[in-house]
Amino acid sequence: MNYAMALDYQSCIDCKACEVACKETNGVQLGADKQRIWVTQSEKSIFGEPFVALHPSQCNHCLDAPCVDVCPTGASYFAVGGIVMTDKDTCILCKGCMEACPYDARFVDDTHVAVDKCNFCYDTRLIEGETTTACQATCPTKVRLFGDLDDEESELVQLLKTRKFYVLKEDEGTVPKLFYLLPEHDPFFAMNSVDPNTTIHTWESFKPILEKAKAKRSKQWQAPKL
Amino acid sequence: MLLSALLLLGIAAIGTVDVLIERYFTQAINAHSAAFSFGNESLIDATRKALQGDIGEVKREAPWTLYIVHYMYMIYVGSGIVFIVAVAELIGIETIKKTAAGFLTLGLGMIVAGLFTILMDLNIPKLYHMFLSPQYRSGMWLMLPLYALYIPMIVLEIYLILVHRTHWIKRVAWVILLLSLALEFVEFYIQAKLFNMNSARHLWTSYPLLPLYFMISSFVASFALMILYTYLSYSTRNNPLCKALTGKLQRWTLYTVMLLAVYEATAYLFIDPKWARIILFGPFRFLFFAYLIFAIGIPFMLLLKDFKNHTVKVIAALSLIFGTYLGKIIFVYGGNAYPMSDRFGVGFEKYGEYEATKTFIFFFPPWSEIAVTVGSWGIVLMLFWVADRLWNITQIDNE
Repeated sequence: MNYAMALDYQSCIDCKACEVACKETNGVQLGADKQRIWVTQSEKSIFGEPFVALHPSQCNHCLDAPCVDVCPTGASYFAVGGIVMTDKDTCILCKGCMEACPYDARFVDDTHVAVDKCNFCYDTRLIEGETTTACQATCPTKVRLFGDLDDEESELVQLLKTRKFYVLKEDEGTVPKLFYLLPEHDPFFAMNSVDPNTTIHTWESFKPILEKAKAKRSKQWQAPKL
Repeated sequence: MLLSALLLLGIAAIGTVDVLIERYFTQAINAHSAAFSFGNESLIDATRKALQGDIGEVKREAPWTLYIVHYMYMIYVGSGIVFIVAVAELIGIETIKKTAAGFLTLGLGMIVAGLFTILMDLNIPKLYHMFLSPQYRSGMWLMLPLYALYIPMIVLEIYLILVHRTHWIKRVAWVILLLSLALEFVEFYIQAKLFNMNSARHLWTSYPLLPLYFMISSFVASFALMILYTYLSYSTRNNPLCKALTGKLQRWTLYTVMLLAVYEATAYLFIDPKWARIILFGPFRFLFFAYLIFAIGIPFMLLLKDFKNHTVKVIAALSLIFGTYLGKIIFVYGGNAYPMSDRFGVGFEKYGEYEATKTFIFFFPPWSEIAVTVGSWGIVLMLFWVADRLWNITQIDNE
């Protein structure tokens, strides 16, 4: 198993349903920057016409996560399925993982005095037998698709085989597993919503990268500490 | 000195209490809280703060703040003093050998104060997990065995200097000194690894030869503190010694200031331009220029000529101490200054429509953090005062 998520962000309407569902399902601390998942806005213009690009974001569950390497107590670790988890019982709040993360994915949960972040609803939904995350289940425009990259028949892999996509900050070498599907119906929007230097991938071009990273780090995957 | 130590310790204590209250006794709520204590006054207050204000001790965008700046300064500079004394002992510089115990105690006090500062930044009740589930590859974890070895080694060095130098002690002292020098190099390597592992913060990962930078920038401040200490301890008691020692320290300070100047002149050729722009031309530029003036400009001008007046050297030392502290602020805060929200390469993003886009991250530290860092100097003074009372460490060793 190798869990990941694809985001068809051109469909996002910033309704915040995913943010609310995440906080409600996972008991996330209330507060403006206490977000496991969020939708960012960047203001652009196309030929003088302003538009707002909405980008849903969260922890990328990187296959080669730097946040796992820096943690002194193993509170940040890889669970089975390649999910980067946080163990609040062993977190000493050194905040090294927050410094190491290129995606601004982590925050301090003051209710537990520990670092928190998205865990693909592992402890609230996946272990109960659900196959979707709370954010995916609630999204009215079907932006998010959670699935298993190792299952070639899964909806996620089938989608990635048919659409072009990119990942964030690929140069950092973290091999993130949040796939942003390139908008297909509006080429101007597509061009303006991503940096021109971003590498656009296909499943065939990205699969070897995933396999190499998984081979390197999957030995560290362990049963989640719940 | 005792009065100053107690005053500073009092400030540290007040700051510590406020930090602990905010961290462990201030109610924070999650989405389920209302179900468990509906109508509770503190819950209502916590909800209001969550919805309307800035909550939480740690800012998501800038997790490492003044605690890290201060711990870096105290530990690196304290270690620098220990290193300098160890080298002086090994190569036989008599003036430093005579005053070694005092210098080493100053260095030790600074290291302990630095560790106290970083302790205040951590979740203290959970620290035992560093022993239960150690992660040997983590630079942060490596600090545990490092200081567990290093601090007793310094104490042993002080002891060996204080007991009068018999033959076998001199032999043992050589081994201990060499070991402590080796540990110093390991220490600066581990400290650099700690910052270097944060791959997102390109200021720290692209700084050339980071362990060397830490050593040079620390030694500059170490020499400055040694000048100040010499003046305060010996200017009235033993003016010839004070003169000889400050003369030597002045020269070495000048050499390390020149090294630092060369380093700073070339480092920004290698640093990621996104961070370099913020520091050299962006909101950090005034701080950076102040750092150059106080850490390099003023000391260079005052130390280049051998002024007879001690006051000039003391002013240079104070300028260096202040300037190098600014340098550490730039290093830590600068590392977080470039927002991580530029995820897509299309510009900085905002988290919600009513928020301003952040192009620069800087948060002024809360008063309790300032109190803890300022007050930590009380640990240095208290340790020094106790050691001097018990073992007369400022006594000049003429053997």
